[in-house]
Amino acid sequence: MEDDDQQKAADLVQELVLRLVSQNPQTPNLDPNSPAFLKTLRYAFRILSSRLTPSVLPDATAIAESLKRRLATQGKSSDALAFADLYTKFASKTGPGSVNNKWALVYLLKIVSDDRKSAINGLDSSVLLPNLGIGDTGNGVLSRGEAKKKDWSNGVLLVSKDPENLRDIAFREYAILVKEENEVTEEVLVRDVLYASQGIDGKYVKFNSEIDGYAVQESVKVPRATRIMVRMLSELGWLFRKVKTFITESMDRFPAEDVGTVGQAFCAALQDELSDYYKLLAVLEAQAMNPIPLVSESASSNNYLSLRRLSVWFAEPMVKMRLMAVLVDKCKVLRGGAMAGAIHLHAQHGDPLVHDFMMSLLRCVCSPLFEMVRSWVLEGELEDTFGEFFVVGQPVKVDLLWREGYKLHPAMLPSFISPSLAQRILRTGKSINFLRVCCDDHGWADAASEAAAASGTTTRRGGLGYGETDALEHLVTEAAKRIDKHLLDVLYKRYKFKEHCLAIKRYLLLGQGDFVQYLMDIVGPKLSEPANNISSFELAGFLEAAIRASNAQYDDRDMLDRLRVKMMPHGSGDRGWDVFSLEYEARVPLDTVFTESVLSKYLRVFNFLWKLKRVEHALIGIWKTMKPNCITSNSFVKLQSSVKLQLLSALRRCQVLWNEMNHFVTNFQYYIMFEVLEVSWSNFSKEMEAAKDLDDLLAAHEKYLNAIVGKSLLGEQSQTIRESLFVLFELILRFRSHADRLYEGIHELQIRSKESGREKNKSQEPGSWISEGRKGLTQRAGEFLQSMSQDMDSIAKEYTSSLDGFLSLLPLQQSVDLKFLFFRLDFTEFYSRLHSKG
Amino acid sequence: MPREIITLQVGQCGNQIGMEFWKQLCLEHGISKDGILEDFATQGGDRKDVFFYQADDQHYIPRALLIDLEPRVINGIQNGDYRNLYNHENIFVADHGGGAGNNWASGYHQGKGVEEEIMDMIDREADGSDSLEGFVLCHSIAGGTGSGMGSYLLETLNDRYSKKLVQTYSVFPNQMETSDVVVQPYNSLLTLKRLTLNADCVVVLDNTALGRIAVERLHLTNPTFAQTNSLVSTVMSASTTTLRYPGYMNNDLVGLLASLIPTPRCHFLMTGYTPLTVERQANVIRKTTVLDVMRRLLQTKNIMVSSYARNKEASQAKYISILNIIQGEVDPTQVHESLQRIRERKLVNFIEWGPASIQVALSKKSPYVQTAHRVSGLMLASHTSIRHLFSKCLSQYDKLRKKQAFLDNYRKFPMFADNDLSEFDESRDIIESLVDEYKACESPDYIKWGMEDPEQLMTGEGNASGVVDPKLAF
Repeated sequence: MEDDDQQKAADLVQELVLRLVSQNPQTPNLDPNSPAFLKTLRYAFRILSSRLTPSVLPDATAIAESLKRRLATQGKSSDALAFADLYTKFASKTGPGSVNNKWALVYLLKIVSDDRKSAINGLDSSVLLPNLGIGDTGNGVLSRGEAKKKDWSNGVLLVSKDPENLRDIAFREYAILVKEENEVTEEVLVRDVLYASQGIDGKYVKFNSEIDGYAVQESVKVPRATRIMVRMLSELGWLFRKVKTFITESMDRFPAEDVGTVGQAFCAALQDELSDYYKLLAVLEAQAMNPIPLVSESASSNNYLSLRRLSVWFAEPMVKMRLMAVLVDKCKVLRGGAMAGAIHLHAQHGDPLVHDFMMSLLRCVCSPLFEMVRSWVLEGELEDTFGEFFVVGQPVKVDLLWREGYKLHPAMLPSFISPSLAQRILRTGKSINFLRVCCDDHGWADAASEAAAASGTTTRRGGLGYGETDALEHLVTEAAKRIDKHLLDVLYKRYKFKEHCLAIKRYLLLGQGDFVQYLMDIVGPKLSEPANNISSFELAGFLEAAIRASNAQYDDRDMLDRLRVKMMPHGSGDRGWDVFSLEYEARVPLDTVFTESVLSKYLRVFNFLWKLKRVEHALIGIWKTMKPNCITSNSFVKLQSSVKLQLLSALRRCQVLWNEMNHFVTNFQYYIMFEVLEVSWSNFSKEMEAAKDLDDLLAAHEKYLNAIVGKSLLGEQSQTIRESLFVLFELILRFRSHADRLYEGIHELQIRSKESGREKNKSQEPGSWISEGRKGLTQRAGEFLQSMSQDMDSIAKEYTSSLDGFLSLLPLQQSVDLKFLFFRLDFTEFYSRLHSKG
Repeated sequence: MPREIITLQVGQCGNQIGMEFWKQLCLEHGISKDGILEDFATQGGDRKDVFFYQADDQHYIPRALLIDLEPRVINGIQNGDYRNLYNHENIFVADHGGGAGNNWASGYHQGKGVEEEIMDMIDREADGSDSLEGFVLCHSIAGGTGSGMGSYLLETLNDRYSKKLVQTYSVFPNQMETSDVVVQPYNSLLTLKRLTLNADCVVVLDNTALGRIAVERLHLTNPTFAQTNSLVSTVMSASTTTLRYPGYMNNDLVGLLASLIPTPRCHFLMTGYTPLTVERQANVIRKTTVLDVMRRLLQTKNIMVSSYARNKEASQAKYISILNIIQGEVDPTQVHESLQRIRERKLVNFIEWGPASIQVALSKKSPYVQTAHRVSGLMLASHTSIRHLFSKCLSQYDKLRKKQAFLDNYRKFPMFADNDLSEFDESRDIIESLVDEYKACESPDYIKWGMEDPEQLMTGEGNASGVVDPKLAF
């Protein structure tokens, strides 16, 4: 814009104002230099330089058309034609000197015409046109009538003014105003903000530790809006600073401190993200060199940067940076799997931008973790120098390797790996290590590579990444399947697990009946001696003899060699029976199954079964002395009928009591055999077949052993009933010595009476000493039988009450199988009937 | 210490069933006709040394004594397929070869005559055993040698090996048909006395029932001896499976018998077997389950002892004990279910004077013998209804005795010399008291039986003791 042009416009405005004001009846002949006039003039300028715009679309043709139509509808068709003609001429006029802003002009005309009409109608039009008279009256509001007259006559003159120029003037003034208000230009602020967003203090925008953020310095005078804007934009810088600090700190700490590979990967990923950010900043910086044009120029979109534009540019990096900052905050104290897990928690986000960003971040972060999983699952290597993996190894003895060698570290378990998957991962690697360390096996490598092939991943590094949890799961599943199978194969075939279990069942659980019998036969007499007198060396000899005498001799020597005699620690009063027991030596790798505690359980079961066998043995011993051809065939000669009655009664009592005891012991044994040992074993066998991994197998074995312990009344909760059972056993053993004495006595009686009979036959004459001897014999027999009967009665009584107690305890037990025991004992409902009677 | 068992097969019948028994054992253990272990039978698990011992050349030799007073059957064995199996030193045939003429007294007397020779053989066998468990006697009670000489051997064994078990497999004569042995009731009675007094366990093999089973169950019109004998050998081998295939329980004869015989005098056992087949018999193959087998075993038609009981008596009859030996692949859980079902349906009547139950022993089946059935079962039971078999013997004896028929043949021998027939009377009393005791077992008051009534006690116990008659013995 040229100066004289501007001056011309100003002169024109002055003239116009003068005219308008002079028309005002209240102020005729106004002096153009009077202050009142100048004030009015300034007011006019302000109105013109303002940016008041009509609320109609700037379409000249449309306005012309509407005017034409209105004229036509008002019946002034000739006027309408004349208007159309004039408008065409006006519109077609281009070039220098012609009216630039045609639409504005037509619109003005239209407004003016409308005003006139509405004024006629008595409407107020003062709002539509500038009322220049307002300012100079100084005394308030003009009457409407006066204002109307003034407007109508003068409004047209405005048309000839150049609006462009006016706006420019306005803008210039505005710029000056802005400059007055702002000490700093926007360009400078933009540049400062760009600095700030790299964490560098700018000229005006500096880090303010008080508010913990970047802000325009207080001393610099900028509008509040700008201040706030800058503050908002420079949040990015604050975030950047945070992220950057984290990265540098982490990098600096490495390798002295345990940042860990996951931490490193995280830093690297952040660094990548930051370099993208730097790129953006570089572009922006270039743009920031362009000056910010005035608003009027905004239509032409030059690459310049204003604070507003910057806020658009910054929108996306802001989101990312915020996320990173949040992650950095979260991860500051975390490492390894925990870190990955924490990051993963933020990945679940609906915003696709955030989601994608997190995915790519996590892919980087998790890659070391997945590599650890891969090498653990396929190679059994724990490549975890920084303790980041969720599997932790600890040095243990070989027999504890499986149970305690490796543990899950829950804190390091990222949440995107489910606990069950983690368990499988743990077990697979553990299996490999178990195979390597305990089984001295190398066949697992084939299984592993097979697994890798089957799952479609390579055995090389970096095959997996975050987000491929399915692939990971697949790999783990395949590897677990194969390696576990291989492990079980090795245990079953090479280490003969099942055979060892069977051997334990045969020897420790007394399944090999003939062996047990011989052992009982040869060891029995020795065990009645005080425990101190028994050497375990001697017992070992007996054990070997029993093996050789029974079918055990055909068993695998490897298994027989593991069978040992064990003398439990004993006190002074103990008999051999109390301390004798057998044990089975478990070797690597089977000691993982047959641990100390497992073996001690077997020991308890053995002791119990051995006790039971001893009682059975005692009962059989009694039967042997009272067996049919011993009792029935021998002659009880010439006893008084009363003595004979006594004898018969004693024998019958003994037999019936024996029958009852034998019934109890036999059925208890049947119960042990069927309901306890065989059923548990068949369940165990089934589970052994079904077992997919060592844990399954351990669990199955545990279940098997616990079932036996529980059902054999050896559990904690069966203490009372066990005691009452042992009372019964004691009674039976006592009964045996009584019965032995009874039959010994009877035997003696037989010999004596035979002798006396022979004497009598020989002598043929009744000698007094013989008859006396006879009488004495009868008397002694009577006394003996009497006392035996009494003893027998007391045992019977005690036995009945103890058995009663035992039977009444049975239904109170938790184990269902004990019902079977009761069922067997009371098969003919003998005891229930007895109970209901008594 | 394999708890050896020495088998004595006495007389024609004894040797025949003995032969079948050894045949069966050889098959089950994979031992060839010459006593050599077959190549396929090297896998252990079975115990051969209970019934066999190994010669220096590793041949398996049965611990068996083959004893007869006439050579026909033993010659047959010695010329048969299994001639190389037996130890020839263990074969005894009377020099004269004339047999006992179906006369108990003759057999008994001749037994006494050769006692030393036979006891030498027995002693030799017994010395060859580490821990002799006992003897098994196979014989018939109707003829002359098995009954008479068998009786003598029983008495001798009882005397000399009183600590050892004596079990017999005693074939009872067919009492439905008229026998060619007219003195059968005499022989039976006299043998029964020894079985009652001198044996620990008598497994009763009733020819009547065996014939009936052969006809009814196996649908043979005219069962041959070989066919009924194969039934017997099946029972014998099955009843020894738990001894030959050791398991958790019932690994020795004494353990097996002790629970079966709680009352010493009532030691006569019945047997039942299912499913029954004989060689070359294409039978209908049944589905066999444990319950199925156990239920069938309780059916009288499968029991190898005839029941002569009348209906009312039959309903009174009670089991004193039952042992079911189930062979084959059995799920142990089925046992309990089967027992429950049997109790629910009240399929079995037990004594009321003491607790009792069905004992079940599971045993392995020989892997070398192919059978059509998965599971087979043998029942050994002490049942009071067996008294009717003895009563039948008594009544037949009474009939004969009343007529004083055929007694002359007996008077020729020292025991009955001078027309001393007290042995008959005494035997009769013993059998009668045995019948009484079985009857008493059916009552809940068995414990008090014979106590209140001194009269009965005198006769009962006195007779049982065998020497109450002052004229005897001393």
